[in-house]
Amino acid sequence: MLSERELQISPIVQESVVHNTKVLTTLHNLTASLFGIGAGILGLESYPGFLFYLLFSLLTSGLVYAFRVRPGIIKEAQSGNSSGMQRYFRGSMELWTGGLIEGLSGFVLTWTLFYGLVRA
Amino acid sequence: MTWISKSVTGLGLLFLAHACYSAYEHSALHSTSTAALSTTSHIATAASSLPIDISIETLVAVFTVCLGLVLGTPELRPIQWRVWAGKIEREGEAGYTNIDGQVDKDYVGNPFRVLESRPGFVDIRKQRKEFAAWVREGGGSDATIKS
Repeated sequence: MLSERELQISPIVQESVVHNTKVLTTLHNLTASLFGIGAGILGLESYPGFLFYLLFSLLTSGLVYAFRVRPGIIKEAQSGNSSGMQRYFRGSMELWTGGLIEGLSGFVLTWTLFYGLVRA
Repeated sequence: MTWISKSVTGLGLLFLAHACYSAYEHSALHSTSTAALSTTSHIATAASSLPIDISIETLVAVFTVCLGLVLGTPELRPIQWRVWAGKIEREGEAGYTNIDGQVDKDYVGNPFRVLESRPGFVDIRKQRKEFAAWVREGGGSDATIKS
């Protein structure tokens, strides 16, 4: 975590932090229900289902990294200064594990629904 | 960019619906056939084996919809103040347009606006020269005063 002195030297824009978090949360909520549909169709039970969710959530974060974070970092590196992931997020964990817990309830909801629909 | 994301998402949802219906049909067909053949105790084990093509279609569909959703997300914004302010300074409103091509509601404008309009730094002689040139040309159009 950043100390107060570091924050004074390189300040952070709160609006951008809120915007980035909102984008990630919306995406993870949407995709979690989608993964629930997938897991329900495949008929996964207990641990394989949660593993499915974990894998696809990480895949989503990877896609976000490839399509949204990476171009900005490359553009910044061309102009001389590179700060990596710090450009968009306070820490890299915010991108990779940020939406895991929020989406879990939606995932279980659609998972059970589609499992019941397909296997009834 | 937006039509790409929408079409990819739509294609993935189509595949997903097809996979879902196939899985439903398979389980319904399988349970009736096994019920006709043998006792009901085999139904649960028989229905749990999905054909490999439906599994693959489901995985591909989920991945495709996921890709479409990621492509449809708005651009992330730099959180460091210097990077953020530099981006606004360089690109202006163009860097803060959403997918529909309109400027976002929370766009605050140039943070250095106050510095650029300080009265003490106004070049009053240049402005007077421009005004004189504008008067000399007749003062008709607005285009000359801006240049």
